[in-house]
Amino acid sequence: MILLVLLALPPAGAALLVRARGRLAQAAHLATAALTLAAALGLAAAVGRDGQVVALDGLLRADALSAWMVVLVALVGALAALEAPHHVPPAAPRAFYPLFHLFMFTMLLAVTTDDVGLMWVAVEGTTLASVFLVNFEQTRASLEASYKYLIVCSVGIALAFVGTVFVYLTDVHQFGSAAQALRWTTLVRLAPGLPPRVIELAFVFLIVGYGTKAGLVPMHTWLPDAHSEAPAPVSALMSGVLLSVGIYAVLRFKPVVDLAAGPGFARRLLLALGLASMAVAAASLWASTNYKRMLAYSSVEHIGIVCLGIGFGGPWGIAGAVLHIANHALAKSVLFLLSGRIRAAYRSAEIPAVRGLLAAMPVAGAGFLGGMLALMGLPPFGLFVSEVMVFGAGFRGGFAAVAVAGLVFLVVAFGGLLRSLHAILYGVPPAPPAPETKAGTAALVSVVGLALLVLIGLAWPPGLAAALERIAAIVGS
Amino acid sequence: MTSLTNLTAFLCLVVALLLVWRQSWPGRLRLFVWQSALLAVLTAQIALFSGRRGLFAVAGAFALIKVWGIPRALRRIAAGAPVRPVAPGRSAGIPLLVAGGLVIAAYAIVLPVSRTITLPTSDAIPLTFAMALIGLYLCVTGRDAFGQILGFLTFENGIFGVALVAAYGLPGIVEAGVFLDVLVIVLIMEGLVLRMRREHDSIAVDRLQDLRG
Repeated sequence: MILLVLLALPPAGAALLVRARGRLAQAAHLATAALTLAAALGLAAAVGRDGQVVALDGLLRADALSAWMVVLVALVGALAALEAPHHVPPAAPRAFYPLFHLFMFTMLLAVTTDDVGLMWVAVEGTTLASVFLVNFEQTRASLEASYKYLIVCSVGIALAFVGTVFVYLTDVHQFGSAAQALRWTTLVRLAPGLPPRVIELAFVFLIVGYGTKAGLVPMHTWLPDAHSEAPAPVSALMSGVLLSVGIYAVLRFKPVVDLAAGPGFARRLLLALGLASMAVAAASLWASTNYKRMLAYSSVEHIGIVCLGIGFGGPWGIAGAVLHIANHALAKSVLFLLSGRIRAAYRSAEIPAVRGLLAAMPVAGAGFLGGMLALMGLPPFGLFVSEVMVFGAGFRGGFAAVAVAGLVFLVVAFGGLLRSLHAILYGVPPAPPAPETKAGTAALVSVVGLALLVLIGLAWPPGLAAALERIAAIVGS
Repeated sequence: MTSLTNLTAFLCLVVALLLVWRQSWPGRLRLFVWQSALLAVLTAQIALFSGRRGLFAVAGAFALIKVWGIPRALRRIAAGAPVRPVAPGRSAGIPLLVAGGLVIAAYAIVLPVSRTITLPTSDAIPLTFAMALIGLYLCVTGRDAFGQILGFLTFENGIFGVALVAAYGLPGIVEAGVFLDVLVIVLIMEGLVLRMRREHDSIAVDRLQDLRG
């Protein structure tokens, strides 16, 4: 029931918002986001109690991994929704709020359906719902970004469809019942008997396809463009949680491949793609002169870390990767939301144009500093803990060379981020920025995001360890 | 049954190869319509021989979307563009060679799949998969928005064909979702291309290079 409520809220809100105007639209928008978050927390509580929640004859199913993603999507969605009115002028096209909630809906559906075919449809839906949001400012650059985004992600996701079809072929032929054949629960049950060569072939297509959505190198080319050109709340959603939805799909298929073909195959692919992503991102972080692109490349780096964690495997690797997804979502959404404010004040997204941020915008500047320190993986923030877990799993599992290479890229990326951060925070701006106005929501968003990160970094809230343990068991099955 | 479905799948592949060869957009659009129509016929053939009535509905929906709806949108996308690409001296020789190589690659790649499947139509799996690969190739090498979308749609047709000949189609809800997605992609693409033409006065994708670094 709670699952149906969760999935009904965003489309209902979107339908309402098509008609609403002005302050009413803002109120309906915030109410939809808040109710979605409440439903997500309700679902997480129900999953914590019963282990899983099933609806519509098993078509929808939420276990601990789904609940984890649902809470993240709803939480980042709520933070982004809180900031959205600041970035959407009242006179702007009305499509923003409805599309925002449709985007939320497609992400929530992707992580709560048990049918991997429907999951594919929902992941493709995330692209379709967000294309116009990327092009919302209707500039030449955002048009180019949204065209690339649509073409690259549609082709990528079509490759994932090839993989899905291959998986379907094998199990429908061996075990019958077409309607149930694409259910993840069926797949995991039948996986040990599936033909290993076909499943390996399918996984190659799946990881390239969903990896395109997740921004893994070399399929990441759309990402810096789309993330930097989209309005800040959309960037926050895309970087914070949309990439992780792509990773979620890979996580769902990993146990199937491991059971059918042994653990080595998926691991080699994940480690290679993870390292490549970290390497390219680390180099790009030194080269980028635009702070929104810098944040986008940093997402590629962190998705690489997540891939390494999944590749290392074991309870620590999986739990570290999943926790890293959450940490990155919090830090990156705070940073992207603040970067929208910074760009509005300085009227530029170029790093050389933004100087003396701490003096010019004390609230946004402090939040930006905190978010960047968290993103660099410094204690006491949560990213430090999850990075220790991921790389610890690498050393413990006997992948010392890969872990060392990953750490080297991490240090290079750290240097690149630190250089840009220093340039942004201090100095004298070439043109004086507009004064900071209505900083209340910016402060609230920063405080909530950073407080949660410190909480994860210092003292795990009750239930977190149990949730991670369950997720590790699901993916490791 | 096997020889008839194999023939139809083979014809689909031939049309895909012709798409690589043709340069003028009205000609390529007609080829795409032919290809989609052939796939709809293939679906109907399999529906008839396998006795799965549901596939007739899939064939109808496929024809409605791919033979009628999407070509109309494609025509609007390409309208106003020069009939032939302006760049001279581009022959279809090398692309055709690549496409031929892709057909061979398709046989090699799907070998594990075609080995495990024992349907009367399973011989056609490499043919439809080759069509998908050729579509992917067209999409990646397309010089304008029309060429890229056409490649993407051929790719999509190929995947539909693989699912059809290897498993008699996918579960209904997935099939419906895929149709909807493809339709929405083309409609969104039309919106973007119209804006692109307003901004750049062209649908050539090499104009899109503001974003670097």
